Amino acid sequence: MKHITDEDLTLLFYGEHDDPELAVRVAESEELSDRYDALCAELKLADAYQPPQRGDDYGAEVWQRIESQLVAPGVGAFRRESKAGGRLGDWLASLVQPRFSLAGALSIALVAVLAFTLGRNGPQEAIINPNAPAGATPAMAMADIDSSRLLTHSVSTHLEQVNLVLTQFVNTSETSSNETEYATDMLVANRLYRQAAVQQGNHKLAAFLADLEPLLIELAYQAQSGSPATRERMQQEVKDGLLFRVRVMNKQLNKPEISV
Amino acid sequence: MTRIEQKIIRKAAKGDRAAFRELVLEHSHAMFRLAWRLSGDQNAAEDIVQEAFIKAWRKIGEFRMDSSFKSWLHRITVNTAMDYLRKHVRRKQFETPEPEFETLDRAADVPDTGTQIDISRQTQVAMMDLSEAERTALLLKHYEGHSIQEVARIMEITTGACKQNIFRAVKKMRIALRPLVAT
Repeated sequence: MKHITDEDLTLLFYGEHDDPELAVRVAESEELSDRYDALCAELKLADAYQPPQRGDDYGAEVWQRIESQLVAPGVGAFRRESKAGGRLGDWLASLVQPRFSLAGALSIALVAVLAFTLGRNGPQEAIINPNAPAGATPAMAMADIDSSRLLTHSVSTHLEQVNLVLTQFVNTSETSSNETEYATDMLVANRLYRQAAVQQGNHKLAAFLADLEPLLIELAYQAQSGSPATRERMQQEVKDGLLFRVRVMNKQLNKPEISV
Repeated sequence: MTRIEQKIIRKAAKGDRAAFRELVLEHSHAMFRLAWRLSGDQNAAEDIVQEAFIKAWRKIGEFRMDSSFKSWLHRITVNTAMDYLRKHVRRKQFETPEPEFETLDRAADVPDTGTQIDISRQTQVAMMDLSEAERTALLLKHYEGHSIQEVARIMEITTGACKQNIFRAVKKMRIALRPLVAT
């Protein structure tokens, strides 16, 4: 007859033993009964390990805490697929409820004017002047180059600021009010630059800026209200690639003669 | 899983927040109990529950209706708790010498049966002395009542490995709790 081990008795205790005869054998044997009773008594003590009681409204409390952090499906934190599409655009529009500092508001106003100017000076259909001397550089093309450089320089400065804020974000465990304020300002600036890039036909830069937006949204609206776990997840995602991409893009923008 | 619950899950998967709220209200208590037993800390458990629900919202489109929603949520909770604990234990190693549960009465090893003993606390100490895998397997089996197959699925291990974790955990718990039986 097979020896009954403590593992067998454990499976019996949890109702998981394959042998239906085991319970009978235990009942019939004094030695097995004693061993089984001891196991039951010891494991039943573990039932005293009870968590603190939550109130009836605990579920509602949890909901209240997480509701603002539930991003619409398809607009995940840093998902690559969350390019600036209609859905994200609509969502962003509904989210942008400015809470700027005065300095932030002024800088955003400057960015808005700049972005507007860049957008207006974007590429337009070439006007061919049949009377122009051969080899002459069209004035419109020069204007395009200037506005492109202005956009490149402005976005580079913007990315430097993003880099600073992200570096600070990944290296601090506590959220400061400045952090969310800067993120809010940068979110709006980022959106305006993206629109300017679209209008200039610089789709690669526009796509990159679109990729940044979900992160800035989370920083602006979730970092402060989120749990430490949320903050750590965001920090990890920034460290895992986004910070690197911001730096690489900024380097590319600063390379002479290379169009991004 | 009832048809009503299936319907709620489908709606939540389509982005219906009200439907997802129903699921949060339904499962919050159970998730807190599991998170608390895994972490041994109330604040950590609160954070884990919130984080787990946020993950669940993101992934609910991946849930398969032919499986148990409770098990699916438990898997997310366990994974979230493990990530949380690893990060926080690492941080605490630098900040404070001992994690919170270590501050409990370590007399669990040799309990004084002549005094009033807080069995719950002693059990907690014994539980926290288990390895992550042992503790998780035992909690899911003993307190949550999952079958061994379900526990294995939640932990993403084989049934055999799951059984071994439970056996080791039970053996250690029995040694820790045996002196308390007489009381």
